[in-house]
Amino acid sequence: MSLRLLFLDELKGYAKSKVMLVLWFGLPLLSFLIQFFNPAELEGMPISFLVALVVSSIGGTLSVIMLSTTIVSEKNRHVYELFLIRPVRRSSLILAKFLAVYLCLVIAVSISLIIGLIFDAFTGDLIENYLKITFESLIIGISSMAITCSIGILFGVLVSSVPVAAILSVYLGSQLSSLIILPTFFIHGLDTQMLALTLGITLTTIIMGINIILFNRMQF
Amino acid sequence: MSNNTCIEFQKVSKSYKELLALDNISLNIQKGEVFGYIGPNGAGKTTTIKILVGLIRDFSGEVFINGNDIIINKKELQNIIGYYPQEAGFQEWRTLDHAFKTFGRLSGLSSDQLENRVQEVLKLLNLSEERFKKIIHLSGGMVQKLRLGQALLHKPQILVLDEPLSGLDPQMRYHFKNIIKELARSGITILFSSHILSDVQDIADKIGILNQGQIKDIGSPEDLQNKFHIGNNIEVVVAENTPLCEGLDDLSEIEYVNNIKSNKQLIHLNSEINIDLVIYQIIEMLREQKCKIRNFNLVKPSLEEVYLKYVGGENK
Repeated sequence: MSLRLLFLDELKGYAKSKVMLVLWFGLPLLSFLIQFFNPAELEGMPISFLVALVVSSIGGTLSVIMLSTTIVSEKNRHVYELFLIRPVRRSSLILAKFLAVYLCLVIAVSISLIIGLIFDAFTGDLIENYLKITFESLIIGISSMAITCSIGILFGVLVSSVPVAAILSVYLGSQLSSLIILPTFFIHGLDTQMLALTLGITLTTIIMGINIILFNRMQF
Repeated sequence: MSNNTCIEFQKVSKSYKELLALDNISLNIQKGEVFGYIGPNGAGKTTTIKILVGLIRDFSGEVFINGNDIIINKKELQNIIGYYPQEAGFQEWRTLDHAFKTFGRLSGLSSDQLENRVQEVLKLLNLSEERFKKIIHLSGGMVQKLRLGQALLHKPQILVLDEPLSGLDPQMRYHFKNIIKELARSGITILFSSHILSDVQDIADKIGILNQGQIKDIGSPEDLQNKFHIGNNIEVVVAENTPLCEGLDDLSEIEYVNNIKSNKQLIHLNSEINIDLVIYQIIEMLREQKCKIRNFNLVKPSLEEVYLKYVGGENK
């Protein structure tokens, strides 16, 4: 009960935040502008592929920063005390944040992709091969975003300074999430999508487990 | 433990690494009692409170609420406690209404109860006009009202207030004190900490003085004033341009005399004396020296003096 309530609450909060406005509207717009002003550089790449790429990479970075700095700031301002004095599991607080931001990211990527696909359908760039690549990058993006979000929470739980959390997130957060495609560079013949999905789910579950244990041990 | 005991701490200790924050404290608070918890910064007041509301879990000793162990029955007990934290913040993107509704639901209120209760609490705190304002746009005083409001939403049986009156302007303090008194009259058990001794004296039925993690004394304000061995004082004010009485400290019952102003002296009497006899002797002495008395007044020690006697020396 408390997880559902907290998740819907957090979703409402993040959905109204400026970061999400940037993700949902700013990044697709940016991709369109790139395509519009410098189409030659993209070598005929369809807009749907471009926006999926832009949103999942920049979105991942923005979300890790947002999650880590929000948690640090809320810890420092004793925000969690008012929740924890009520019959609320500590894990629910952490999971609600993770799920809300992750869902916002998935929505951002979906919006961008749908708009991109519509645009490509009108301009005649919707080629089957590109659709496959776009779908593949989407799977990788969504898997890496899950890891990114869990790492953001890890930094938030571990660190007590907002600037430190932001720096760690920028330099480590999104880079660590690219680990999911690293094995494909060394082992040939691996199914990239399956690998991304498997590693995404496994690593996210492990990191979230660690986050919950650490948050449970915290002194408020 | 009697049937009327609401909160009971039994030999509770808590350390933060090397620092012993609470040292084997035991205390009982009766149902419907207003318990004022006073002590200097770092004495352990907030630690005691955080243990009671379940925010600190690793402590030694036992704490009971209505006879139930707070660790074993944490979930059930959380719904009967309202907690006003000293410094807790809010997620500022929420409106006041949204914050109240979230906390109300988390405290177990149904949707039907919630709307009525939010309105009642907003009215009680004069916050109805601010209901749909974002928290980020509220003044500091209003945020303190919000803190109190969230503690009252679910009609708790026990209210735990950590420094509820600090930082409030006089008008708001008066308002808060009235609310606390009103809640006390309705039978809620209240534990509150404060630095402002006059407020504690004004509100509390019983006071606990905490210093360096130990409870130094517990009693009603009057008990503490009487029990503690501070002699009564006599304030003597003489007419302008009239010399003060001399030689008063020669009397055996008088501990010392402070000449506070050119026309005012404070006579500190030894404890456990025959007050009537010593007053008679002082008046006789004043008459002999032909002092023109404007005011002669027996002054009991203030709670502040009692408090300083307990904690002042050790903190110097």
